[in-house]
Amino acid sequence: MPKSMSQTMHLSILTMVVFSVSAAPVAAGVYAATLYIMRNWAHKGEGVPAAAPAVRESAKTVITWTLTSVILTVFLLIWGLGALAVDSSGASSNPLVVNVTGQQWVWSFQYAGPNGTKVESNDLYLPEGREVVFHVTSLDVTHGFWVPQMGVQIDANEGTFTEIHTTPNKLGTFDVRCTQFCGLNHAYMVTQGHVLTPSAFTTWLNAQPARS
Amino acid sequence: MTTTLEHKAPVIKHEGGGLARHQNFLTAMIGGVAGAFIAWAISHHLLDGNVRTTGDAVAVLTGLGWIVGFWFGIGALNAPFAWLIGKDQNRQDQLYYAGEDQGTKRYWKYCTDHKVVGVQYIVMTMVLLGAGGILAMAIRTELIVPGNHFVNQQVYNGFIAVHGMLMILALIVAVAGPWGNFVVPIMCGAKDMAFPRLNALSLWTLVGAAGLLLTTLAVGSLTMGWVVLAPITDQAGVGMDFFALSILVFTVSTTVAGVNTICTVFTMRTKGMTLERLPIMVWGAIIAAALGLYAFPYFSLVEALQILDRTASTSFFVGTGGGTGWLQANLFWLMGHPEVYVILIPAVAALFEIAAVMARKPVFSYRTAVAGMTGLAGLSILVWAHHMFTTGWAPTLGGPFMVTTELISIPTGLFFLVLIGTLWRGNIWMKLPTVWMFGFIANFIIAGITGIYLSDIPIDNQLHGTMFVTAHFHYVFVGSVLFGAIAALAFWYPKVTGRFLDEKLGRISFWLSFIGVQVTFLAMFVSGLRGMPRRYSSYSFIFEHTNFISTMGAYMIMAGMLVLGGAVIYCWNHGEPSGSNPWHANSLEWLVSTPPPLENFDVLPVITEDPYNFEKEMVLS
Repeated sequence: MPKSMSQTMHLSILTMVVFSVSAAPVAAGVYAATLYIMRNWAHKGEGVPAAAPAVRESAKTVITWTLTSVILTVFLLIWGLGALAVDSSGASSNPLVVNVTGQQWVWSFQYAGPNGTKVESNDLYLPEGREVVFHVTSLDVTHGFWVPQMGVQIDANEGTFTEIHTTPNKLGTFDVRCTQFCGLNHAYMVTQGHVLTPSAFTTWLNAQPARS
Repeated sequence: MTTTLEHKAPVIKHEGGGLARHQNFLTAMIGGVAGAFIAWAISHHLLDGNVRTTGDAVAVLTGLGWIVGFWFGIGALNAPFAWLIGKDQNRQDQLYYAGEDQGTKRYWKYCTDHKVVGVQYIVMTMVLLGAGGILAMAIRTELIVPGNHFVNQQVYNGFIAVHGMLMILALIVAVAGPWGNFVVPIMCGAKDMAFPRLNALSLWTLVGAAGLLLTTLAVGSLTMGWVVLAPITDQAGVGMDFFALSILVFTVSTTVAGVNTICTVFTMRTKGMTLERLPIMVWGAIIAAALGLYAFPYFSLVEALQILDRTASTSFFVGTGGGTGWLQANLFWLMGHPEVYVILIPAVAALFEIAAVMARKPVFSYRTAVAGMTGLAGLSILVWAHHMFTTGWAPTLGGPFMVTTELISIPTGLFFLVLIGTLWRGNIWMKLPTVWMFGFIANFIIAGITGIYLSDIPIDNQLHGTMFVTAHFHYVFVGSVLFGAIAALAFWYPKVTGRFLDEKLGRISFWLSFIGVQVTFLAMFVSGLRGMPRRYSSYSFIFEHTNFISTMGAYMIMAGMLVLGGAVIYCWNHGEPSGSNPWHANSLEWLVSTPPPLENFDVLPVITEDPYNFEKEMVLS
């Protein structure tokens, strides 16, 4: 896994762990049962095996099995819906808004600069510890905006904005990759991102040439 | 095939068949090419070359010309035209169409015998899997090291789309085609399908559609993944038109086949064959057919609207004209998710059948098996938007679709219950079909569990669009469905050929494929978890090792499939003779001779119990 650099990613990884821990006994049970069957009830020797005792129904088994899978499913659903609620709870009062624009085959990022100016960058710079809201769009075909280290992914569609938010919580560099097939150079539609301290971020933002 | 049909009652020889005596696959190809040429010449001549959409319109009309010419050439339209001019077919004509006394020639013709159609589907499935497999190997070879070395990106991008679509088509027909046609009517105690001519139509329409799909490789330009969604389709050339048309035609084939299967089971069962005495395979066939009848019209609609957008300047899916790509994505996945179960359910039903016969026990909890398949089919129509969790379309529907999707694990769990319950305390005959069935169980649990991860939005936001998804659905389609299909092939092969599929070669193939699947797709899960997106023609060095491992595994699968393909061809004439009932089973297809005679039964049997009592061996009286 890429190193986690946001709360969203942290929750995503935690959810994977919870699901793995819940699913492992089921998988282990099925494998154990299958191996047990092969070991004990494989017919040995030549010739046609005789008929085995016919068991057509067992209400107890069916009900137990079904109830178990219902309980497991409901548990995973409650966990998943809870995590989803955390992920999609409204943005904080003062988020950083970054407009993300995809086009064949580059990403660009627009920020509100000082004094009402606009700043554009080909690398994605984010401050640590502040919520960031991505407004994502495309100039041509559909792209997929994905930050593997932060567990956020949303399509970039032409003519409309999609939105996703997260809070970076670790300094360092990260990747931006395209997850929607977008033509010839899809595999090369990658760029770098950097999480800076809030003061370094402000310094960077102020140093950018303003665009009208 | 060297065996010949035997008849108890002498039939007076008669010159039936008329025009059909001169029609076969070759004339169909000639007709198709001629039709395409005529359509191209006319449309090219009449349409205004200065209009933007003309190139696409000419391509679509040319493709249509191919299909219509192909239908004429193979003889699909003989009977309807004869009927129009007042000349209905007589008994001799029908027997000719059923391939009477034509030996192996009938396999190249518009043959109405459901068993011939079944064999044609076996061949067709193998051809499609072979073509898709070659592309898979090309893709994995390109990905063996970072960078673009082996094929250029444009070609590579075309490969991933056509590989995907070919494999989807192959798997839709892999079990339902061969065995839904060959054994299901006999299982019901029917002399043929309800609509024998439509049966032949479904097969030959598939052949025509596949031909059209393969031409997209030659004309290029299909470079957008197998889902082929707007707006990137706008940038594609005429390959896109052929593709859309071939899918439209393919849905005609599945619709015709689905109606036929359902009508056969509901109207042609022999006396005493109540719904609860049906072999479980028959339930799988009709549930999948019914689900297909619900799902595939969306596919037709997507492609028809797409063709209109391209050729007639409509804008159903074009944003600038008031349409939206999200509409197309919704329609596509309304088909796309049920389609997975159209593929899966027949394979699972075949495995229930195999488990019962090989464990010498009845299917455990027959009604649970039926309920599980029905429940899965029902739920599958309510989950489509989980393919769109990360598109940004209707975020508020994320929760509800997460719920329906995770509920899928309950009917899927019932499949394991029925399989394990059937095998439990059995007396298990470890033959080739059994071996592949155990492979299915091992792979399907991984397929199922990784599916639950992806159904969960916080996880999907990370893993969607990555190789994790690719690995997941390859565990479904290769590890599960293909293994089930091969189990079914090994199980019913003796009924078709009178010979066993070689046990030794089959096991070599099994181990190569089984280990190959784990190596390829477990490594691919890791690629995805590490952050590698899908449909990449090249990748960063951090994904180097897992991609190399995946490619090695893929070569193992290829080796396994080549051994299997070789065994299927070799054993057809040279395998160990099996007799007519090698598994000592009691369902009707095993009680008729091998190969089954034309029209299957001299006297229709009367059924008094289900076929799962292995205490006694049934015979047809």
